[in-house]
Amino acid sequence: MVVLNINGSEHSIDVEADTPLLWVLRDELQLTGTKFGCGLGLCGACTVLLDGKPVRSCLVKASDVAGQPIVTIEGLSKDKSHPVQRAWIAESVPQCGYCQSGMILSTVALLNSKPNPTDAEIDMAVTNICRCGTYNRVRKAIHRAAQMGNDDAGSKPTTV
Amino acid sequence: MTYITRREFVCAAATTMGGLALSLELSAQENARPLAATARPPRTPSAFLQIGEDDGITIITPAVEMGQGGHTSLPMIIMEELGGSWKQLAISDAPAAAIYNNPMFGLQATVGSFSVRGWYTELRRIGAAARIMLTQAAAHSWKVSASDCTVDESLIIHAPSGRKCSFGSIARLAANMPVPQDPPLKKVADYTVIGRSQPRTDIPDKVDGTARFGIDMILPDMLYAAVKTCPTFGGKLKSFDDSACKGMPGYQSTVPIEDGVIVVARSYWQARKALERVKVDYDLGKLAGLDSAKVSQELHAGFAEPGIVARNDGDVESGLAHAAKRLEATYEVPYLAHACMEPMNCTARVTNDGCEVWCGTQNPQAAQTGAAKTLGIAPDRVKVHVQYLGGGFGRRGEADYVAQAVSAAKTTGGRPVKLIWSREEDIQHDFYRPAAAIRFRGGLDANGKLVALEGKVVSASAPSFGRPGGPPFFTEAVADANYLIPNFRVTGLNKNLGVRFGFWRSVNHSHNPFMIEGFIDELARAAGSDPYQFRRAMLQHDTEGARRQLGVLDFLAEKANWKHRQPGHGYGISAFAAFGSYIGTVVEASMDGNVVTVHRVIQAIDCGIAVHPDNIIAQMEGGMAFGLTAVLRGKITLQNGAVMQTNFNDYPALALLEMPKVESYIIPSTAAPGGVGEPGTGPIAPALANAIYAASGLRLRSLPLSEHQLSYKAVRI
Repeated sequence: MVVLNINGSEHSIDVEADTPLLWVLRDELQLTGTKFGCGLGLCGACTVLLDGKPVRSCLVKASDVAGQPIVTIEGLSKDKSHPVQRAWIAESVPQCGYCQSGMILSTVALLNSKPNPTDAEIDMAVTNICRCGTYNRVRKAIHRAAQMGNDDAGSKPTTV
Repeated sequence: MTYITRREFVCAAATTMGGLALSLELSAQENARPLAATARPPRTPSAFLQIGEDDGITIITPAVEMGQGGHTSLPMIIMEELGGSWKQLAISDAPAAAIYNNPMFGLQATVGSFSVRGWYTELRRIGAAARIMLTQAAAHSWKVSASDCTVDESLIIHAPSGRKCSFGSIARLAANMPVPQDPPLKKVADYTVIGRSQPRTDIPDKVDGTARFGIDMILPDMLYAAVKTCPTFGGKLKSFDDSACKGMPGYQSTVPIEDGVIVVARSYWQARKALERVKVDYDLGKLAGLDSAKVSQELHAGFAEPGIVARNDGDVESGLAHAAKRLEATYEVPYLAHACMEPMNCTARVTNDGCEVWCGTQNPQAAQTGAAKTLGIAPDRVKVHVQYLGGGFGRRGEADYVAQAVSAAKTTGGRPVKLIWSREEDIQHDFYRPAAAIRFRGGLDANGKLVALEGKVVSASAPSFGRPGGPPFFTEAVADANYLIPNFRVTGLNKNLGVRFGFWRSVNHSHNPFMIEGFIDELARAAGSDPYQFRRAMLQHDTEGARRQLGVLDFLAEKANWKHRQPGHGYGISAFAAFGSYIGTVVEASMDGNVVTVHRVIQAIDCGIAVHPDNIIAQMEGGMAFGLTAVLRGKITLQNGAVMQTNFNDYPALALLEMPKVESYIIPSTAAPGGVGEPGTGPIAPALANAIYAASGLRLRSLPLSEHQLSYKAVRI
């Protein structure tokens, strides 16, 4: 039995100790916004936030993160209102959309630590793969979200 | 995806059943010429468009959504004529049914950039017919003339009396109106929807995890499956031993299939772990000795064979014999995998009543027949539920993964099974873009004019596709080049080595332009000409193709400031026709040692009427990125009949930091719409290779760059 803290709620889950967090989220908790892409931590489709930091959930054993705060794409906002989500819609970023949960969470983590990232910082932080080639819109949306975050600062918290 | 809540559809339920409230023969095609002689059924508006009494408009799209924008651009075409409110729109994927066969292509397949160009006329007619019926119903109830009524944002308005009613309030009455058989259509100049980028209907659900892809299917009592198939092409399962799996948590069973095994378990992770413990013995088959060197040898051996003549203008031998200068060169490209971000998967349920499958597919009818064949039942007993596709690129036109899921689901006593491939299975069991090579010979006269060109196209495998008796499909972009060359001969030879092949984004245009546009560049240099002017000179003839290709070329040269190129940088240019559009690219690059730096990519497309401009730009950028990945390091290699690459570590995709600055332009046009999803992939390879030559004198005649010990850097946006 593993107790996980996902999007602010505790879940007791009966899985084998070596089960990756990815498959617990998807198959046990039906949080299918977190995607399977490669299984080796290479593509970033399975990115979630662990204590605010981006991790590849296909490489994290569920039992190793018991009790630690985990945020998935479903936990970012209830109404697509997080600045990064708004920026993503405004820039029409997604194409097929499969990688975008991971892209968005990598961006959220980046903006949490660097509210106004440089392009070089974006290059280093967002290593998620997108086969549709949305990268230039991703970059524009990150800058837009940073701007939104600045505009919102003081009125409400923008981090999760 | 917007899941439609069950509301009362006034226009009767449609699809496969017949007996519809509305029947409208819309089979005449004004600008569509079918490639395949397939019977085109009458189109029934209610199969595409349903209006509820709550004013909800549901558009059932015959094009699936894989990121190419089909769920927005096709609805825009209907909405243009319908006059409905975009805010009340819901989108639903069409089930497998012949009524959804693409009018131009003949199949219900989202492929070949056929969606908008195939449906452009028919969907406008459907929208117009529905608008007329709604208007007539309102006019009838108000006892006024329908010609005095107008439509705006789902409202029917009678200005003289000031009366208004909503689509939904009149829809039931409208369903009984006579169906206009030849509704007049708007003039392009009067368009208010087409040409104005509407918000993509699929995007909001793709930012919060609610978009449902095939892999996200969850059904009550569902089991999970993992699959492993023979590493060699054509290999078969001989035997297996699953005794080590017995007692593993969640383990249910091992299901043998022709070329491998499927393990079914309570969770996917359990299925994967058990699969590792299954001992499998294969008959490796006849291709067990095949490797990439042998593929290359076979391609080159093909140059000595005659091939099928695809084009033969003038007399190429005589033209070459009389040329003042002759050039010969061989170009070659390797196999490529699609590597869709969403690994192949399908959920299937098999009961006594038949079968249901849930998957991302570019070809619902192929999924249907694939499932039916596996079960030995009639296709109409298989129901296909199309989900969002996490990338398609041609890979999801195949139904191999559907057949596998059904093979597993028929053993589970009615419990649904979700079968998911590993990334390794995906890379190693793709339907690959074929390896191919072209040997060119060219002859220039004393004035540097290209007087003779011969291209021998050899493909390591190619689909027998295209017009019967026409040029071999895989000579596309060479045999149909728009350049006027007095002596021009192209042959095609299909070696078919037995490696699984398929359609990869841009198909033949993914590699043939690299080869012919590279060789044209070589000829221009040999002639002492400017590569842009050299191409220009061969497009001075009065055909639509030459005119529009020249238009793209000139547009690019202007945007790139070709006349005043940045000293020290190399510029490469390329333009051609593809998928009913004309497209081209200029790359500005520099070389420092073995490092290629791309400073700027400029792309332009003449795709006729631009239905959704922002989406067209997105497709051009995305297509370029897909092509650039292949240029930089795309290579599937074979050893002992098996693919050596396994995952994104050895088959890496382009990364964000490698995406160059891209400027994309749409050239205004009133021609019928052309394709936009496929064409963008092709031009980057020749444009970049030609830029590298201009910057360094190094001529690339094979891909990828990584094989030439070149590294790459991008100047970002």
